Amino acid sequence: FRLNIEGLLVYFPYDYIYPEQYSYMLELKRTLDAKGHGVLEMPSGTGKTISLLSLIVAYQKAYPLEVTKLVYCSRTVPEIEKVVEELRKLMDYYAKQTGAKNDFLALALSSRKNLCIHPEILHANIVVYSYHYLLDPKIADLVSKELTKKSVVVFDEAHNIDNVCIDSMSVNITRRTLDRCQTNVETLQNTISRIKETDAAKLREEYRRLVEGLKEANVARETDMYLSNPVLPDEILQEAVPGSIRTAEHFVGFIKRFLEYLKARLRIHHVVQESAPQFLKDIYEKVCIDRKPLRFCAERLRSLLRTLEIADIADFSAITLISHFATLVSTYSKGFTIIIEPFEDRTPTIANPVLHFSCMDPSIAIKPVFGRFQSVIITSGTLSPLDIYPRILDFHPVTTASFTMTLARTCLCPLIVGRGNDQVAMTSKFETREDFAVIRNYGNLLLEMSAIVPDGIVAFFTSYIYMENIVASWYEQGILENIQRNKLIFIETQDAAETSMALEKYQEACENGRGAILLSVARGKVSEGIDFVHHFGRAVIMFGVPYVYTQSRILKARLEYLRDQFQIRENDFLTFDAMRHAAQCVGRAIRGKTDYGLMIFADKRYARADKRGKLPRWIQEHLTDGSLNLTIDETVQLAKHFLRQMAQPFRQEDQLGLSLLTLEQLQSEDMLQKIAQIAQQA
Amino acid sequence: MDEEPERAKRWEGGYERTWEVLKEDESGSLKATVEDILFQAKRKRVFEGHGQVRLGMMRHLFVIIDSSRSMEDQDLKPNRLTSTLKLMEFFVEEYFDQNPISQIGIITTKNKRAEKLTDLAGNPKKHLAALKKAVDSTCVGEPSLYNSLNCVALPSGTDIKEILVIFSSLTTCDPANIYELIKTLNALKIRVSVIGLSAEVRVCTILTRETGGSYNVILDESHFKELLMLHVKPPPASSSSECSLIRMGFPQHVIASMSDQDAKPSFSMLHLDSTGEPGLTLGGYYCPQCRAKYTELPVECKVCGLTLVSAPHLARSFHHLFPLEAFQETPLEEYEGERFCETCQGELKDKCVFTCLACKKVFCVECDLFIHDTLHCCPGCMQTDRTS
Repeated sequence: FRLNIEGLLVYFPYDYIYPEQYSYMLELKRTLDAKGHGVLEMPSGTGKTISLLSLIVAYQKAYPLEVTKLVYCSRTVPEIEKVVEELRKLMDYYAKQTGAKNDFLALALSSRKNLCIHPEILHANIVVYSYHYLLDPKIADLVSKELTKKSVVVFDEAHNIDNVCIDSMSVNITRRTLDRCQTNVETLQNTISRIKETDAAKLREEYRRLVEGLKEANVARETDMYLSNPVLPDEILQEAVPGSIRTAEHFVGFIKRFLEYLKARLRIHHVVQESAPQFLKDIYEKVCIDRKPLRFCAERLRSLLRTLEIADIADFSAITLISHFATLVSTYSKGFTIIIEPFEDRTPTIANPVLHFSCMDPSIAIKPVFGRFQSVIITSGTLSPLDIYPRILDFHPVTTASFTMTLARTCLCPLIVGRGNDQVAMTSKFETREDFAVIRNYGNLLLEMSAIVPDGIVAFFTSYIYMENIVASWYEQGILENIQRNKLIFIETQDAAETSMALEKYQEACENGRGAILLSVARGKVSEGIDFVHHFGRAVIMFGVPYVYTQSRILKARLEYLRDQFQIRENDFLTFDAMRHAAQCVGRAIRGKTDYGLMIFADKRYARADKRGKLPRWIQEHLTDGSLNLTIDETVQLAKHFLRQMAQPFRQEDQLGLSLLTLEQLQSEDMLQKIAQIAQQA
Repeated sequence: MDEEPERAKRWEGGYERTWEVLKEDESGSLKATVEDILFQAKRKRVFEGHGQVRLGMMRHLFVIIDSSRSMEDQDLKPNRLTSTLKLMEFFVEEYFDQNPISQIGIITTKNKRAEKLTDLAGNPKKHLAALKKAVDSTCVGEPSLYNSLNCVALPSGTDIKEILVIFSSLTTCDPANIYELIKTLNALKIRVSVIGLSAEVRVCTILTRETGGSYNVILDESHFKELLMLHVKPPPASSSSECSLIRMGFPQHVIASMSDQDAKPSFSMLHLDSTGEPGLTLGGYYCPQCRAKYTELPVECKVCGLTLVSAPHLARSFHHLFPLEAFQETPLEEYEGERFCETCQGELKDKCVFTCLACKKVFCVECDLFIHDTLHCCPGCMQTDRTS
């Protein structure tokens, strides 16, 4: 039906609307009006996608000069497909309502096999693609640099956006990378000498271009055509490529020297950590490589590859990586750290040196995006606490709001289990995690739950190692055998094929009444991308608080940086990070208003205000004082009661007027007042 | 344990949420609101099932009772099994009271197997005895939905149309794909309903949805009873089932007195397979077709297979074909007229009064319930029929 949102006519392709969707659109419109950025949290399953699409499309239609394009970024291919599906529905509805031929062009870029070449993007009104197309400098350059300034950019499922930013700017170099790079260099050399014989003019032409500098690019940027690329800093554009790497042979020689230096650096026996300036100083002293040519490395390589007309860029990924590293390390003196480790922590006997060039500041990668586009919307089901994202991404939103889920029945039941029946505290705290009693209590919890929860249970552990230890211990104690009487057990492993097989069998067991438990790991594949609707996840158990592995040097460096640059205390960030992952995990179970599920937090630390307060508002709301420090027995009682309540018939009529509205209901004065309370400004 | 929230306590289950509606009246008494709640509870049953639909009259129902390990759970007192069997006894009695010419059979499932407790029969005694005996059986292993459903559906030629499963476990151990079986059941037009004792299980949801049955999960004991009683009423006759004529015999009861010299004591045919009871009796019902003797009705003749019923039985089942329409409910304040119930002659004190749409007579709640649940015809209408 048609909605009027503060004077904007919005076509909404469904007969009913959730109150929070209306509220969400309201906030979204205000953000667009202000031409600012927004952070919006709304639980999954409440129709975020369609609200976003209908409002922004309506806005585009109403003010074609203000907003010309919608760029919708999502995380995975299935999610992108979902967006396209909703979009199609919306367009059909538009066609039906207005009768006009659809003049909107939408474009979805999902995977490499249907990658598209850019001219079309220029004309599309809506672009749907993965984060990387916008954030990863390597891809963004190809795809996104010609997006106009008047675009609205939406990052959906953005609770991990800082990590995506960091990953896109970080480089890891192993011996393997260097070896492959070596091969690349040799291929380049051969190609160059061949071309020199056949088509020397081409190389000369390139040389001439390089003397003139990267003027074209600079002109383009100044005339506001391109999205700036963090790998290509502004200063380079002003200058000509330095003479030492201008000819193709010289450049290849230069790369070779750089490669040798890296190889030498990897030949170490102890961990080295240094900053970018230190690294530059060292490289100058050892092999006399200056900072300036290093900065041009990425651009120079691109030019060379273009000149040599090499089609298959993928083969040259290693050398491209090295060139990016060279440019980045010489460009940014802050926000990065270099850590060279001779071996992995887990296998101290096997030499496997790695050079981590690690980005510590997510704002570097996303800065061009915030700077260029007039509105950037960051949205997800779990963005709490809302104020931390603007801080770590370094931007100033005009709206930050969290929406609750209006429910006709309380379909989520968060419970914090703090101790076993023997009153021993349950926690994955480092000092007690190997404690026999704790492991046994965890086992008992799972055993009890397996007896009363129907169909599927998903259990999350804090790490693979911890899961392995616990499961082995349960096996010895015979707990596993008892659990298997109630349900089948499946385990997520680091092997993707194995895991998808386990998932398939898990779903089968849930479907045919046998019942199953999936043991998986927070931050793993299962915890992020896979939904457990209805019977596939009637309960989620979070064993312990999923803190990131704190001994990692990269993390330590990042924490230090956050403290110095953004005044975020280490502990605050670690807790925030742990809680967003916990929220993601337990959120797997609730995928809509007709769904229901138990959320069991099995660690007494969750009861503390600093942890609890960082859960999304829609979970916190249902966390009563009575469910903060439960024993296993009490949990079982509460869960039983909850499951019976939820099994009672639930029809659409029960929702109508409460959590599902028709147009008339929406327009009533009462309802509008209630809706005003759904959004909570941070 | 005092941290445990109050709503988890069993003994408060029945009056859940009631404190939210409790309000003191002017004199500070809670009586009015408590009565209101009771009134609502009474009304509930009247409302349910009062559609104007034709209901099936001759029913063949199989009840599958889960007797797996989970039946030992003590959330129903003293445990699920005992509680269920008790309610089942009550159910069987009610069932035959409301559906005198119908039949019932009982199956239990445990240890991955299905076991026939009683075969399909129209006599409550045997079922009750079997149920009483089953209380002592142990609950072990897992149930098997597949095996027990198969046990019912497999013998072809029987005209089972209804299965009621009382399912306590959350898992089922099936030897084959149950979805295939569901298709078969669907093709055979067998309606499967499930009453769950613990939580909603996916496979039951599918099973009931595909076969057109109902699926409910109990909240507590009283809710369990309520749900079970819903199955006493026959389900609506499916429109596809054509009217079929069934051959029936109406044997006369022959009474022979001891003084009669010609009377010879004889065995009832039913006693052929039951060993316990004393056998020889004088009078009885004789099958009009083959003269076999029975002491009780209704029964299917062992010799010639004729269904033997008595006329009152048939009459009692008859009302399912023409259910009595629901009475119109009006608040007491709006009702103007004599403040006495037509049948019990008591004063109308409840919040609402009920008016028969045909004869415009007025009844109280209690009588309304009695008329719809037991009498199945309106006394007011009967009276006017006679006088006119």
